[in-house]
Amino acid sequence: MLKKISVDKISDLAARLMDKGTLVAPVREDAGHNFRKITDAGQVDLGYYNTLMSPKSVFLPQKEDFVTYIAGRPLEEAKCIELNPEPTFLFGVRPCDVRSFEIMDIHFIGTGAVDPYWSRRREATTIFGYAFDLNRPAEPTDFYTALGIGAADPEGSDVFMILKGDELLLKAFTAKGEKILSQMDILSESGADDASYFDQTVADGRSFKTRFINIDAQAVAKKFEELFHNAQFWEKVSDGCLSCGVCTFVCPTCYCFDICDENLFGGGTRRRVWDACMFTDFTLEASGHNPRTKVYQRLRQKICHKYSYHIRKYGPISCVGCGRCTRSCPVNIDIFSIVDEALRA
Amino acid sequence: MATSFKQIEQNLKNEARALLESGRVALVLAYTRGYDDRHPLPYTAKCASDADNIIFNEYCNANLARYLVRHPRGTKIAIAVKPADSRAVVVLIQEEKVHRDDLIILGIPVLGMKNHKTDEIIDSRTTGGLYNPVLCDILLGEEITGEPIVSPYDVLAPYEAMDKEERWAFWKKELERCIRCYACRKACPMCYCDPCFIDLDKPRWGEKAPGPGGNLMYHLTRFHHLAGRCIDCGECYRACPVDIPLHLFHKKVAKECEEMFGLAAGMSIDEKPALVDFRMDDSDAILE
Repeated sequence: MLKKISVDKISDLAARLMDKGTLVAPVREDAGHNFRKITDAGQVDLGYYNTLMSPKSVFLPQKEDFVTYIAGRPLEEAKCIELNPEPTFLFGVRPCDVRSFEIMDIHFIGTGAVDPYWSRRREATTIFGYAFDLNRPAEPTDFYTALGIGAADPEGSDVFMILKGDELLLKAFTAKGEKILSQMDILSESGADDASYFDQTVADGRSFKTRFINIDAQAVAKKFEELFHNAQFWEKVSDGCLSCGVCTFVCPTCYCFDICDENLFGGGTRRRVWDACMFTDFTLEASGHNPRTKVYQRLRQKICHKYSYHIRKYGPISCVGCGRCTRSCPVNIDIFSIVDEALRA
Repeated sequence: MATSFKQIEQNLKNEARALLESGRVALVLAYTRGYDDRHPLPYTAKCASDADNIIFNEYCNANLARYLVRHPRGTKIAIAVKPADSRAVVVLIQEEKVHRDDLIILGIPVLGMKNHKTDEIIDSRTTGGLYNPVLCDILLGEEITGEPIVSPYDVLAPYEAMDKEERWAFWKKELERCIRCYACRKACPMCYCDPCFIDLDKPRWGEKAPGPGGNLMYHLTRFHHLAGRCIDCGECYRACPVDIPLHLFHKKVAKECEEMFGLAAGMSIDEKPALVDFRMDDSDAILE
């Protein structure tokens, strides 16, 4: 099913989707665009390259409350926080970010230990993927094509959207996608030239230029295994690293979290909060021992997790080349350059 | 006439090579090329041949004083500093985090430094109103004279126009956006506490999760830990991924400190820092 709508009618489409459930879409904010729950259909803004924060927070919010309790009271009085996500439409996700959901599914569903929070939200969500604008050069930070992701790949999206002049083409790829598109009477039927434009763009997206090196998963995993004890290499690539957590927080495939009890004046909440392997206290043990006291050890963990351990354990590289970590790094550490340097080491 | 960036880069390379070759220092803190020219990386040169990798251009904004405390005490270090960075070095010396005798300060007079995102000229706005370092052993370019003196506090005008309630609302709104990545404290040359209070478990000073309470606790405490110490390099604001204008609070406190005590942090190595100095005629305005 291929439909279309004029770009200046986006807020009308947004309003219709809001009638059917929760709409999460890019909104322009002070520092850039971000995915937010839409409360006013006019907020949806398609004038972005990519969002500052990845869309992972739609399924894995930075802060997730599990249980509330009052300290000293019997256990039975503690309250579980119910999660009944309503149908959600995640609108405008770039192909590399759509790919990240499949990688994250491995951890929250695929290993057999199903995380109900992630999986219920995932089930309730219809993903509207959105091709990069092929008429605009990729940001110098991006390298998703080096990881086998095209700029207009519809894989993983329920509905995939491509901009054609001042019209937005929407094509359903799953039953979920078919259903929602058929309910949107605001969309017009597409013509034959729209269908060929859509297919041509998907094909052109595969040869779209981002930074590129040949990254073979098995070869890169082996390379990093060999480099593990090469402190000189790691000290060199982590030289400027401040060991803050920006790169992991903006990353679509970083999923580490901490479960903590946060209580104030007797009332408490047990919650999950994003954590980061770049933080000094991430590996601090109860004994006081910390196996990763040096910056290079922490950066090595981050890189090797994505480009070595993850491949050995689960198959795919845990990186989609979206470039967010590089764009947000205060000192311009660049994961692509590190992988490149490793492969040439 | 300001020295060109190319010439400064050459001078920096030459000095670094000579210092490392002679063994006078074990390392030189400078910059190297990042993934492109607009995105340089902080760099530690450890041997004479490393000097070839050093660069300097209008985008070398990072304050390298941040890295001084990473090395064991007694390490002989040469550090490239721009004006604000030199003030950070002064404060670190005053606070005995580094020893003056262990440092060789390579001063860089700056004219034409740019914001890598917008390409706007940021001279004197992120250098505390200065064009030349306040302390250095070797100056890597001509001292800059005759440039307009821009007050580091001009940028405060809209903030100062707000009344108390408006300022409270302003900070609540701004700090609510914080994602608690801690880039601000990690980029700050004056934030060297280990552990930082916000990471402590016993007692727990603020919630780990982002939220109005924990964010305020973290930032307001950090703001006050930097009172009289912030040297106005603007790194906290530059590092923030969500562009929270943290520097405004620091500037406001620095301005009040200057008005009340006549002291600006790190301007002179011979002066006692505001927080450790007491004079009978000190202003009591802070108590009012």
